Amino acid sequence: MRPGPPSAVASRSLSHRVSGVLHVVDQYRGVIALLLVFTLGCFFTPRAFDTHLPIFLSWRTQLDIVFEYCEYGLLATGMTLVILSGGIDLSVGSVVGLSATLFALLTIGYGWPVVQAFPATIVAGLLAGLVSGTLITRFRMQPFVATLAVMVSARGMAKLISGGIKVQPAALPWYHYQQDTPFFFRWMTRALPGIGMQPATLLFLASILVMAVVVRNTRYGRRLYAIGGNEEAARLSGMAVHRTKIITYALCGAFAALAGIVNACRQDLGDPEAGFTYELDAIAAVVIGGTSLAGGRGGMFFTLIGVMIVAYINKILSLNATPIAQRMILQGGIIALAVLIQRGKRENQ
Amino acid sequence: MKPVMCIPLALAVVLMGCGKPASNTQATSGAQQPQQAKWVIGMSQCNLGEPWRVQMNHDIEDAAKAHPELQVIYRDAQNKSETQQAQVREFIQQHVNLIIISPKEARPLTAPVAEAMDAGIPVIVLDRKVEGDKFTCFIGGDNVKIGREAGKFLSKLLGGKGDIVELKGLMTSTPAQERHDGFMQGIQGSQIHIIFDADCQWLQPNAQREMASALARFPHIDAVYAHNDPSANGAYQAALQEGKGREKQIKFIGIDALPTEGVRLVKDGILTATFQYPTGGKEAIDTAIKILNKQPVPKVITLGTRIYTKDNVDRGGDPL
Repeated sequence: MRPGPPSAVASRSLSHRVSGVLHVVDQYRGVIALLLVFTLGCFFTPRAFDTHLPIFLSWRTQLDIVFEYCEYGLLATGMTLVILSGGIDLSVGSVVGLSATLFALLTIGYGWPVVQAFPATIVAGLLAGLVSGTLITRFRMQPFVATLAVMVSARGMAKLISGGIKVQPAALPWYHYQQDTPFFFRWMTRALPGIGMQPATLLFLASILVMAVVVRNTRYGRRLYAIGGNEEAARLSGMAVHRTKIITYALCGAFAALAGIVNACRQDLGDPEAGFTYELDAIAAVVIGGTSLAGGRGGMFFTLIGVMIVAYINKILSLNATPIAQRMILQGGIIALAVLIQRGKRENQ
Repeated sequence: MKPVMCIPLALAVVLMGCGKPASNTQATSGAQQPQQAKWVIGMSQCNLGEPWRVQMNHDIEDAAKAHPELQVIYRDAQNKSETQQAQVREFIQQHVNLIIISPKEARPLTAPVAEAMDAGIPVIVLDRKVEGDKFTCFIGGDNVKIGREAGKFLSKLLGGKGDIVELKGLMTSTPAQERHDGFMQGIQGSQIHIIFDADCQWLQPNAQREMASALARFPHIDAVYAHNDPSANGAYQAALQEGKGREKQIKFIGIDALPTEGVRLVKDGILTATFQYPTGGKEAIDTAIKILNKQPVPKVITLGTRIYTKDNVDRGGDPL
């Protein structure tokens, strides 16, 4: 706690109480912002043209909001790890394209069963992250540059393995599937009876919950914060800095691969151009949630909030048919505001 | 604390300040006045970054003006299939009476279109198809015919023989493939040879670059067949910049014939001819009215084309 300015000392007792309240509010500022956005959604919802029921409040719309953002959510989950470690990963968008193409090629093209194609795709994502991590640690490249290199080459790989076309049934005569995509594609994107949620949504929620536990309660998680907070101190205290970082980028790649599989299922094909500029959306969601780009501060819960805030805002703007120009200006403004919030928080600490 | 509150505040400002005037003047959103129109149509355009698609929206707007009982809500999917999927689902939630969609891609939009049909909402699919037959009506141009007409025209223009350059569109897309196939049918049996061809991905700068290579390699070129008007214009610019006056000898032929692009280029004497690729906007509204009035409509409507040359451009081209 920082001592108050001299002028405030006189009314100490009152300001102490107020700051106590503010502190509680401060802890949950993300949740409050989310609730405010939600409230706005309730006010600005269009209504159905015949029944006049507010569309925003329908259960279906609420579930759609998470579903439509689960790809970004998966990316943001991995990105949070990298940003906590003080790094950045620009390659995730391209890895989405690569893994979406690879997964579609293995299943639709070569007819592999999903139980084989799924882990193979995850491994490809892991490898991409491994390359980033190795370039950053062993070859001392800056994360921005190393992952930029991987971003470009992963996109090239996606185009190479697909032959430059979208991988879908009957795209090439030798493809195993010539009529429909495998059942798994539809299963991932259809609401499960009873739960009402799509497996893709559940995959995102499960991923972020598991990683929240990992980041909070494991040695790996503690190292992540330590390295992000002060890498030199972490190194001097004998932490395996390089290994932790490599694991982090590999995990980020794996989550990008998961997002890629979801992308293939949602598009019902493997698009080598998929995920273009998604890395920026993922970074934005993490930053809006409140995880600091400087590293060492933040967490998975923040990211979940950040993803939801962005998802809600986009849905509200979409439902109201806000023109794209205003939408983009607003999105830029929100990112800038989120950084302001972060700075305020740092001064508070 | 202040900045946190600013996020929803900024959102509120945008929603109040910008959303409403736009919806009042262009009748785009119009979610606020559901009673006025008898029927609400949701129109999802895959990408308003291309002039041809802007023209499609204009055509729909113009046609809808004649029907006060219609209200059209426009959405732009920003070239993302996933955004377009969400838009169709939002239309279903809003219980619109009919959906017009110009899909970015067939496969990803097949399921949402089927969902709309299952919800009892008729769907008109414009320009690009969806898989299967779960839609009410498909309206599209005939790229093979357009390519064939271009080939026949060029063959006649050059007296049945000559060396030409083909500047293709994105060859992984069906329109480019069909415009090529049709053209080959059109020049079949003539002495016309394609001496140089390149995939310009529909883009003028690419076409200009590729044409510069063609000009450098071949001292004699009779004509350029470009898969769209901007590419034809790019080829003209390349010839102009070469500085040998070859832009006056070479005939440039394009496709699409947008009022602001190809037709203007013909008027300016840059293109010898351009062939219209119709947007189907007017036909979509005509068909929508029929569907909403429970009249039968054909499953597939194939649109014709028009040719624009120096001689007929002022009277609006001729149908082919």
